[in-house]
Order: sequence, then structure tokens, then C-alpha cells
Amino acid sequence: MSLDFVHEMSFASAILDAVMKVARENNAKRVKSVHVVIGNLLMLNPEQLKFCYDVVTKGTIAENSKLEIEVVKAKIECTNCGKVFDEYVGICDECGGILKVEGGKEMFLKKVEMEV
Amino acid sequence: MHRIEVDAEMDLLEENRRLAEKNRELLRKKNVVAINVMGAIGSGKTLLIEKTVESLKGYRVGAILGDVIAKDDYERVAKHGVKAMPLNTGKECHLDAHLVHHALEDFDLDGIDVLFIENVGNLICPVDFDLGENYRVVMVSVTEGDDVVGKHPEIFRLADVIIINKVALADAVDANVDKMVEDAKRLNPKAKVIKMDLKKGIGFDEWMEWLRCVLQSREG
Repeated sequence: MSLDFVHEMSFASAILDAVMKVARENNAKRVKSVHVVIGNLLMLNPEQLKFCYDVVTKGTIAENSKLEIEVVKAKIECTNCGKVFDEYVGICDECGGILKVEGGKEMFLKKVEMEV
Repeated sequence: MHRIEVDAEMDLLEENRRLAEKNRELLRKKNVVAINVMGAIGSGKTLLIEKTVESLKGYRVGAILGDVIAKDDYERVAKHGVKAMPLNTGKECHLDAHLVHHALEDFDLDGIDVLFIENVGNLICPVDFDLGENYRVVMVSVTEGDDVVGKHPEIFRLADVIIINKVALADAVDANVDKMVEDAKRLNPKAKVIKMDLKKGIGFDEWMEWLRCVLQSREG
């Protein structure tokens, strides 16, 4: 299987593009660390994302920078009884109500630490 | 040299979202209903499109066939005499709005009523990439195991139609179709769930009924 054959590669490239933009705007010489926030309902494996990030940053000023991933949880609750869930299970196990999902699909670059 | 820390607050998914909305707007202007056909490898996505092309009288169909490499799916659909285009991702395991945006630049949408966009076969990678479609159809088959629905909640949660194909083979592979249907309905109470066997003609009418209904509501 090719290394690129994981969709984390697309996300890693998106991070790199954004990081390079911030680095250019600040005339950075090196990028030291990068902080991203990802929603827990994105189909993303943080370890694979880190691995892909290391691959895509090779040969750039972000090479060897640290990728910190903060996972934020979606708000999942029963529309009928209000029970709160950690994971999406579809139907409420207490009352059979439908679950409502808010968030969990966001992904943004929060902070970039650079040497200028 | 000194260190600085910059608060970026940049939305990393914005680009795909922007292009997906652009695609949706173009399709709306051309009065085309776009259907993202997602699902497991070998679940029957291409055959569903082929059979639909043959049966959907009164509407003109277009198809974009996504695959990592090879044009087999495209050739299968194109031989039915409809506008079709292969879309190879090269290495990526999913289509994204950017790829589809480029495909739509070359695809003649005039005179098309419905556009099927067959995604790369898998139940994980395509989930987070809106292509600008109007509906998502997710297809699996009993041969993938009757736990395949329950194991992939996110793709089913976001589907409009869930098709469980090859139900005639359920006994041979010891799959419990009812469990698959229950999982689908639990994960997505709003979706239309269809038990199907394309080769035996089971459930196909139900699918066509949904599709005609969608196309008619567009005209209304």
C-alpha cells in the first residue's frame, strides 16, 4: 500500500499550506510547533495525521516541527430525554429518542510557534 | 533569531467547503440533481448506476466515476450510451470537492437531469469530503459481514439512502440482513434503507421510486 493511500495525507497537506501561509506572513525562518484542533467525529486518526505531517513537512521550514493535536468532542444528546452521549449511537438507549449531534467536524489551525 | 507564537485560527476545511458550495451552485443553476454514491469496494455501486441508467426512462443521466487508478467503472457505465467521465485520484482514497470541481469544468451538464458521482470504494475516507452533492447514497453488501454497518457509524449517519445489497447471498455468507437493517435505522432514523439484490432484481424498484421522487420534487 502506498504511503499516500491514507486520507490523513490530505488533511496534513491542508495543515502545511496554512502553516506556510502564517510562516510567510511572519517572515519565519523555522516553524517549531503547530497546534491544531480537530473534532472527534472527523474520520481522522491523530497518530496517522502526525505521521503524515512529518512526511509532508520534509524539506520545508516546518521540518521537524511538533504537531500538537487537540481533539474536541461533539455535543451529542437525546432530542427526547436530553441524555448526553460520548459517542454517536443513533438511538437513545434510555428512551429510544433520536440523538442530535452538534460539532465534531471542525478542524482549524490554532497556533504556530516560529523562529523569526 | 527569536521565537514567536501566533494565534492563527484558520479553518482548515474551509477550502473544501467553499469548492463544494461552488459545485452545488453550478449544479443548481443547471438544474442537475447530484448523487454521491459511496460504499465499500465490490458492494455494487457501479452496477447500481448501470442498472439505473437502463431503467430511468424520461431522464438523462450523467456519471462521474471515481477510482484511484483504472477506468473500468467508467467503461462499464459509458457503454450504456450516457455522458460519463472517469475521475482518477492518483493515490487518494476519496474524491474531494476540488477534484469534482475540475471534473465539472469539463463535464457538459446541459441536458443532464441527474449526475451520479461514484466515490472511491471505502467507508471511511470519503465521509468528510462534501463534493457539492444533493444526496448521499451509501451501499454495502452482505458479503462484507453483517457487522459492516455498525462498524462505520459516521458514513451511515450522514447518508440519505442506505442500500444493503446482495441479500440473496445472505445465507451463503451467514449474514443477518435484519441486523444490518436495524443498525442502519438506528444510526440514521431519517434515511431510506433498502434491502437489495441487484442481480436478482430485489429492492431495485424501491430505489427507482426514491430516485423518481427526488427528480420530480426538483421539477416541482
